[in-house]
Amino acid sequence: MNKTLRNPYVYLLFVVPTIGLYFLFFVYPVFQSVVYGVTDWDGLNPAKFVGLENFINAFKDADFTASIRNNMYFILFSIFIQVPLIITFSLLISGVKRFQGFYKTTVFMPSILSTSIIGILWQFMYHPSIGFFNKFLGWFGIEPIYWLSDPKWAMLSVLVTNAWQWMGFYIVLVLAAILAIPKEINEAAEIDGATGIQRAIKITTPLIMPIISVVVMLSIAGAMRVVDIVLVMTNGGPAGATEVMASYMVNKAIRFGQYGYGTALSIIIFAIALILTAIYQLVFARKSERVEY
Amino acid sequence: MKKKTITIAASVLMLSSVLSACGSKENNNASPSASSSASESSSPSESAAASSPAAVENFDISLRHIQISDLQKFRKAILEEVVAKSEADVPGAKFEMDPVEDSVQRFTKLPAEMAAGNPPKIFDLFGGPGDGQKYARAGKLLDLTPILDELGIKDQFTDFSTFVVDGKVYGLPIGASSEGFFYNTEILAANNIAVPKTMDELDAAFAALKAKGITPMAMGSSAAWVPFMLVNTLVARYAGPEIQAGVGDGSRKLTEPEVVNAFAKYEEWIKKGYFTKGELGIDYTGQINEFIGGKAAFLFDGTWRASAFTAEGDGKALAGKVGYFAMPSATGGKGDQTAVNYNQNNGYGFSADVNDNEKAAIKAFIKNLYSEEYQIRGFKEDGVLPSMKVDPSKLPTENPLTKEAIAINAAAGSVFPHFDSLVAATVNGEFEKQIQNLIAGKATAQKATEAIQQVQDKELAALK
Repeated sequence: MNKTLRNPYVYLLFVVPTIGLYFLFFVYPVFQSVVYGVTDWDGLNPAKFVGLENFINAFKDADFTASIRNNMYFILFSIFIQVPLIITFSLLISGVKRFQGFYKTTVFMPSILSTSIIGILWQFMYHPSIGFFNKFLGWFGIEPIYWLSDPKWAMLSVLVTNAWQWMGFYIVLVLAAILAIPKEINEAAEIDGATGIQRAIKITTPLIMPIISVVVMLSIAGAMRVVDIVLVMTNGGPAGATEVMASYMVNKAIRFGQYGYGTALSIIIFAIALILTAIYQLVFARKSERVEY
Repeated sequence: MKKKTITIAASVLMLSSVLSACGSKENNNASPSASSSASESSSPSESAAASSPAAVENFDISLRHIQISDLQKFRKAILEEVVAKSEADVPGAKFEMDPVEDSVQRFTKLPAEMAAGNPPKIFDLFGGPGDGQKYARAGKLLDLTPILDELGIKDQFTDFSTFVVDGKVYGLPIGASSEGFFYNTEILAANNIAVPKTMDELDAAFAALKAKGITPMAMGSSAAWVPFMLVNTLVARYAGPEIQAGVGDGSRKLTEPEVVNAFAKYEEWIKKGYFTKGELGIDYTGQINEFIGGKAAFLFDGTWRASAFTAEGDGKALAGKVGYFAMPSATGGKGDQTAVNYNQNNGYGFSADVNDNEKAAIKAFIKNLYSEEYQIRGFKEDGVLPSMKVDPSKLPTENPLTKEAIAINAAAGSVFPHFDSLVAATVNGEFEKQIQNLIAGKATAQKATEAIQQVQDKELAALK
């Protein structure tokens, strides 16, 4: 028996099914995507090789470049609005003595709701006549805003909803990091006369930089593949104002049967995500990898 | 020995995990594939068949329809009756009804299923090069010609040309429709507005209502096919009823001044605020609800909507208070100014991947649904104009709106179709995109028509 278990081929035999399935459902489709990306496949008829035409057309396609810009809005909103808010809320909750569990559960709640439910709930909040926001603004005599149907406001409305959905998840991550900091460090600073704000900025935040770095990277990755909230709330509208790369790709491939072009778009999305996360890793994340207490 | 046992155990584990991962629901008989059902049908031995009555074989047949909301309750009731009759006709058949919202069915679900090769057996289908004809050319649709010949109803249809490819019929229109203006008689009377006969009178009516703070026209443009109905008719009024066919075959262009004028008229109405505020965030149902709620004076919709404004309909609050008229004549408009829009482009298609049992069920479904009885009931209960030749004396005309629509159509000098039955999906999509761009102020009439024509030129060039 022991002799058998020392035979590496036996172990190989056990992992072969998983590796087989992995190749079948992950590796093979990736290669297949590359193949379809250089064809004009329409989903119905045999594909014809078109070289890099799909990729060239993608960068000439004003709607696609506009959707790249919208994805960038998601990234910028995540980094410059969402992350500071996540840190602020985490610091506030970590300082709470009573009902900390309640606050943690409450902020985490949106992340366990399905995107469809969140989208529909927020559609009511944004409703021009019965929505919360316009009712609230109405008290100050402000005219109704067409949050989801005015191209000026639609993107911001979706960004806010998306941030609300995911902030709780990241707050819990950051909170765990804050609570893991040894109490002595903060107590020593307090004895030395540091105020709460000084401790938060000068001590806690630098010590949780590694987890903040992870949150930023996850936000970038999340912003690159965002699509569900857009499809539920605006379906890329009004007039393409909230179209993101993934929703544009789905639309091109499925509605118009341009599967070759759609696949090329998916490869471009993958490449952009890869480049952005690599840049972030190389430029920022490496610097904050280690913290020693 | 032990080594052998472990090796065998590992092999069994490996195989079982692979098999369980690749297993299917075929045995559950939820959606039997053509091949499995075919083998099942041939399985009973001949001796068994000879000694006892043939056992009834149960099988499911998927039916995708779009009758999902209360607005479509009459049509759904008809469909359910047809299904019950067809199940009785074909022992063992069980129709699995699968309701899906119409835009999702047409633009997302069916195209994806066609590409994956697993469409339902019976499904709601549009004709034309962007839908039915495209699928037929790819061999995805069942050729209905032999079934129609067998049932003897092939010459009973008034027009199924948008479902025909190389002389074979691949789909059947369930009804016909025209598109025009519904109006709230109370709002018009309260504001001393007569039913507009010309575009100038319509403009004046819109302006008068707008000045009094009343939304002239209910509009929900979150799905662009809704305002596209209006634009399609405006284009025909300004550029003549042959424009759709001309653009479709390349003999006419959307950049012609008359077409640009039609788009400019639509742009003018947008800029003057004649449509519901925030229309880009309102869907088709929202548009109808606005009209039913008495918040708008006009509604541009298909004749199928007439059934909503009856005592049993969803818009019963407006029963007897709604009128209908076709798009008024345009000053300087080209061609026949009495022409009306007339579509027979929506109906049912059937998967090419069917076995004998499923084909029998499809035949029963066609026999039951495409009958004089249901054409008359569709007209009476749902305001759907017949797509088959029905004796006009048998068509009840209690609904004043349908009566009005029929009278207008009878008086019309000619008819014109919708662009979407004549152009490719990409051109249709560009139309919709440019209409939404006009609403959002991101395009002008000139630029919009140029952009659509560019896509159409590309499609026509690809066909050569």
